[in-house]
Amino acid sequence: MSAVSTRPAARVGIGGPVGSGKTALVERLIPALMRRGVDLAVITNDLVTAEDAERVRRSGLIDPARVAAVEAGACPHTVIREDPTLNIEAAAALERQFPGVELILLESGGDNLASTFSRDLTDFWMFVIDVAGGDDIPRKRGPGVIRSDLLVVNKVDLAPYVGVDLPRMLAEARAVRGGRPVLTTNCRTGEGVDAIVQQLEREVLFRQ
Amino acid sequence: MADAAALLLALQFADSAFPAGGFAFSWGLEGLVADGLVTDADDVADVVAQQLTLRWQSMDRVLLVRAHAANDAATQVAVDRLAEAVTFSAPMRAGSRRAGRALLGVCARLGLPAATAYQALAADDARLGHLAVVQGIVYRAAGMTCPMAELVSGWSLISGFSSAAVRLGVIGHVEALRITTALRAALADLLAAPARPAELPASFTPLADIAVMRNHRRDLRMFAT
Repeated sequence: MSAVSTRPAARVGIGGPVGSGKTALVERLIPALMRRGVDLAVITNDLVTAEDAERVRRSGLIDPARVAAVEAGACPHTVIREDPTLNIEAAAALERQFPGVELILLESGGDNLASTFSRDLTDFWMFVIDVAGGDDIPRKRGPGVIRSDLLVVNKVDLAPYVGVDLPRMLAEARAVRGGRPVLTTNCRTGEGVDAIVQQLEREVLFRQ
Repeated sequence: MADAAALLLALQFADSAFPAGGFAFSWGLEGLVADGLVTDADDVADVVAQQLTLRWQSMDRVLLVRAHAANDAATQVAVDRLAEAVTFSAPMRAGSRRAGRALLGVCARLGLPAATAYQALAADDARLGHLAVVQGIVYRAAGMTCPMAELVSGWSLISGFSSAAVRLGVIGHVEALRITTALRAALADLLAAPARPAELPASFTPLADIAVMRNHRRDLRMFAT
């Protein structure tokens, strides 16, 4: 029996407001993690469609059977926090189906700044915001911004076009998070994704 | 009055906040709304009343009582096989098992040995884990008498449907209260007569069953069933 097959997979949550780039980040993380030999599966919590799950399944990046969709009954907060049982069961089913899976990415449905993941569901969770959502988001100190293990600021390339002072936004984000990690990405090009992967390898997979 | 400990146990498991995934299931209501067959509070009240009398009373309650009485794994499994056999639509069977397994999972994590044991059985057999059966097993394991387990199961159905109807935008919170108040009385009437576990479990809710089957294939949906 290998050590890998007996160890439960790490659960990594990805939350954030609608349109901030959660699915785009998942699409970047999958190949980046696979290149490093990480055995992966994905769960999406779409709100009204299976669009995110289908998008990941059809991406060609991962075996479609390794992508599970969990319905949220119009309660995107509940399904990752107050009552994450359906996600927990979906993760357990993926582990049974794919022995040796090391990491399960759980993408939340698009939500708002109050969204947080249960520690019973995830070992590590990141919150994705984007510069086009406004540079005041960190100042609003939503629980997602404050309490996530990693804050990802996406679409940094758009900053000049939406009047965002990116250095100030990042400084405010780091300040409200007490210095805990804040990383920037442009998921369209893949910029910044490696730094997230390195963080996951260090904090979740304990490879470094 | 039943003693406070027994009532509190029932309240805890019947609470819509009990973390067993119930909020993600509409049991056909979402499909009925999408097809224009449920448009107002009267429609919702009719659907839930039918589910209560023509499904829960004649099927779920029978399965639950049998599972609650089961003293060994073989009997529990036999009741579960029966649940599988009498639930004719595949998406309904899948939904019932998902909801049952969620309840089983959280009760296993809670440390109920009966839940852990049955979860181990269900892990190796994808057709096990129907909700009414799991309710019977875990409610008994948690310490509920069978009548209290029936009450919690029936109430969970009523509150689950009304909550789904609110989230589907068909009724408001006050209408939901009126519906649950009326159906609370209907459930009390049903519970006043003993369950009939010797009867073959059966249901006749064709519209809702078809709605679950249609909804399963719909692109736009928020609920698992």
